[in-house]
Amino acid sequence: MRMTGLAFMNFRNSFKNCLSLVASLAFTIVIFLNFQNLIYSDALIQLGEKNKRNMDTVIQVISIVLVCFMFFFIWYSTNVFLTRRKKEIGIYIFMGLTNQRIGKMYMIETALIGLSALGFGIFFGIVTTGLFQMILLSLSELAVEISFRPVFTPVLVTALAYLAIYVIFVIKGYVDIVRSSVLSMLTGARQNEYVRQSRALLFLRALAGVAVLASGFYLAVKKGGPEVLENAVGAVVLVILGVYLLFGGLLPLVFQWVAGNKRFLYRRERCLWVNNMIFRMKKNYRTWAMVCVLVLCSVTALATGFAARMRYENMEKFEKVYTFQLLSDQSDLDERARKLIEESTQIAYSSFLPITTLSESQIRTTTRYTGYALTSYSALRELAREAHLDFDLTEPGAQEYIKVSNVILFSLYTDVTAETAEIEGKVFRQTQRTQAPYLGYLQQRHITLFVLGDQEYEKMRSIGKQLYIYNYSIADPNAFVSAREALGELVAQTDDYYVGRVSVDPLSDGERNWVKVLYSLCVFMFMVFILASASIMFMKLYNDSFEERERYLIMEKMGFDAGALGRSIGKELAVAYALPLLVMGVASYFSVHALQMVMSADLGMIHLVSVLVVVTVFLVCYGLSVMVYRRNAGV
Amino acid sequence: MNQNKVAEVKNLIRNYGPRGFQTKVLKGIDLTVYQNDFIAIMGPSGSGKTTLLNILSTIDRPSQGTVMLGEQDIAGLSNKELSRLRRDKIGFIFQDYNLLDTMTLQDNIALPLSLNGVSGGECVRKAQELASMFGLSEHLKKYPWQLSGGQKQRGAACRALITDPEIIFADEPTGALDSRSGRELLECLKRVNERGQATILMVTHDPFCASWARDVYVLSDGLIRCRISAGAQRREFYDRIIEVQTSMGGDFS
Ligand SMILES: Nc1ncnc2c1ncn2[C@@H]1O[C@H](COP(=O)(O)OP(=O)(O)O)[C@@H](O)[C@H]1O
Ligand SMILES: [Mg+2]
Repeated sequence: MRMTGLAFMNFRNSFKNCLSLVASLAFTIVIFLNFQNLIYSDALIQLGEKNKRNMDTVIQVISIVLVCFMFFFIWYSTNVFLTRRKKEIGIYIFMGLTNQRIGKMYMIETALIGLSALGFGIFFGIVTTGLFQMILLSLSELAVEISFRPVFTPVLVTALAYLAIYVIFVIKGYVDIVRSSVLSMLTGARQNEYVRQSRALLFLRALAGVAVLASGFYLAVKKGGPEVLENAVGAVVLVILGVYLLFGGLLPLVFQWVAGNKRFLYRRERCLWVNNMIFRMKKNYRTWAMVCVLVLCSVTALATGFAARMRYENMEKFEKVYTFQLLSDQSDLDERARKLIEESTQIAYSSFLPITTLSESQIRTTTRYTGYALTSYSALRELAREAHLDFDLTEPGAQEYIKVSNVILFSLYTDVTAETAEIEGKVFRQTQRTQAPYLGYLQQRHITLFVLGDQEYEKMRSIGKQLYIYNYSIADPNAFVSAREALGELVAQTDDYYVGRVSVDPLSDGERNWVKVLYSLCVFMFMVFILASASIMFMKLYNDSFEERERYLIMEKMGFDAGALGRSIGKELAVAYALPLLVMGVASYFSVHALQMVMSADLGMIHLVSVLVVVTVFLVCYGLSVMVYRRNAGV
Repeated sequence: MNQNKVAEVKNLIRNYGPRGFQTKVLKGIDLTVYQNDFIAIMGPSGSGKTTLLNILSTIDRPSQGTVMLGEQDIAGLSNKELSRLRRDKIGFIFQDYNLLDTMTLQDNIALPLSLNGVSGGECVRKAQELASMFGLSEHLKKYPWQLSGGQKQRGAACRALITDPEIIFADEPTGALDSRSGRELLECLKRVNERGQATILMVTHDPFCASWARDVYVLSDGLIRCRISAGAQRREFYDRIIEVQTSMGGDFS
């Protein structure tokens, strides 16, 4: 009982000190709760069944990412707290308390912190859910009614996930205290965290880091088939591991070298700030590695969001290339169709393509498609000319084909020539593939074209059924309904006469609203990760700055003016901010490159913009940190 | 002896406390330090030794009186100018060492020189030279927490000496040391002084410590009561200091 009292008193007295811990824990809870709430709230149900299902998958994935994020974040913040508290509560050793009891006290104290953070987090989480949904949906340009009624399940899920992780680290802290020696508990903070390891070991670690990173990058940019997804997951794990190894090996090694090379070290303030960095090396490199990974995540999230949106817009455009498409076994419908449409509006452009349809038993491909058809190279070229579409394909030779397929959000086949098709027992090799919308909606939903060379096509055309596709795009989108009605008289199906029709309202909305939500969720993730990494950096430097006060006081007595000390702080912090950014810059190139392949979109600009945003945020944070650091250190 | 004045105070008065309730800590001190002096200011605890030293070393300002460092009156100087003056002309040895715990002994010693923009090679050379003079050559790679108090204080002395300051101020340099470490430090300081490499003004309450100096001023009740100069024998000098101390009846410990 008395110990509980003591722990409680500690908690109350040091509440100001714990504030940063409570705030950061509550922050993760707020974020997590908001995302969970999306799953269980009815806002997304209004988007329709299909959208809702897709969205839930996305949110599940994001939840997993967030759980990992929460795990690392709690690990980090409790660890910072532990090292600070260890010294303070270590004093109780003089009062005759055993390690076990001190550990127990720490547990009670951190439990109180954790619970108050949970309280704050849930409270602010519930308060912000409405706001979050509102911003999210308006960012996604969706009109959906939002209920501000809090739902119980997400709160429960969030609390359980958080507590499960938190308890792990509270116990870890307890074990840590029980195991540590009296001496280390009292002098822990004074001794430096200089990674005193042999050069060879550090070198090996750095080398391993480079190797692991390189293999991660290799996996990320490797072309291949469906294994691309596993590769991507592997790449993520390898990159995270590699970053840790690299930071843990290379940095101590480099700094050790600098500290040993006195001629280089003794250059104005360098001696000061390099030693400061070495002094906290362990904490430094862990923080930097974590920030690096977080920033990498944030850049990747933004790139994903933009890529998805771009793809989405492409798909929309794709399906709206033609307003009407007729599919018939008759080859002379064009004139009649044209007349019927022109009763209502002008035709902007039209095109025509003869095809040979194949049944699924006639063709075997590496992946399955919906609907197979053959066509000839020159017929497709003629269609492209009529529809004003780009055409830069070269005619395939014997036993070769070009695949004309639909646009999908993610495509796992990143290697073009890895696919083959077996038509009537004959193996054809794929030379090129294109996703140009030659057949618009039909191509997106129903037909995959295998384009053969003209001679080859002549030989093969007899194996399937001959069909003709007529495409029309109208000039006035408002005339859609009347033109559609007029065309109706053509549509028919008898034994020897067949005309099918597809109409796409140029003004309608698609069923892919969830992509818009995905896009805004990604933007949110981007901001969450940036905020988290910036605040981790800031928090760490904020804590460090208090330790510096004593040192700078000595320096000032010795007559070193604020200018020199300020410059030293400026350089130290600049290195601290620049290092994770630098590694992130390299790593993000690969992650964006991988995304680029999977989504076949050009993400160079987005990559540049997101990196610039991160750099700007870090610059602001850097300026702020220098200011606060100087104030706290008394310079 | 005809020598350059390094520091001079005239009619120095220092009060503490709010107007009307002020206590006079220093009541009019006159003191001149010449080049290559080794002066100890001795006095009981609370007699104002640290106050005097802080004013001389420009960390504190006088209430009245003039303080000259070299040719310069410090009264009109801004904080920035004062800190430059400290950097260029003054070396410090503090009672609690005040080494930076983030760096090795060698880095600690070389730091002031390197901050002054001296080349790395020169810093290394001077640091090693001083370290060997103070018997620290084997400890250069160690961090402060790996050193004994005596080693730390000798390191602090090296740090104070490395910029060739015009004067070194030491406040109770042996205060935290056992007698052997204290003697080692003082021996080193004396040797440096005798080689003409340093002017030292030391403050102490300990007659044994003071006996290493060439002149001892006794401070009591805010005034310098007397000056004792060393003879040929340190032993005999020590006895004379004790004699004066007992005759004044102050509590010196
Ligand atoms: N900043 C201050 N404010 C008020 N009184 C002070 C201050 N600094 C020192 N004093 C007083 O001045 C007297 C001399 O202090 P000090 O110079 O530290 O003595 P010592 O000779 O022991 O070094 C003491 O009585 C002390 O209480
Ligand atoms: Mg004193």
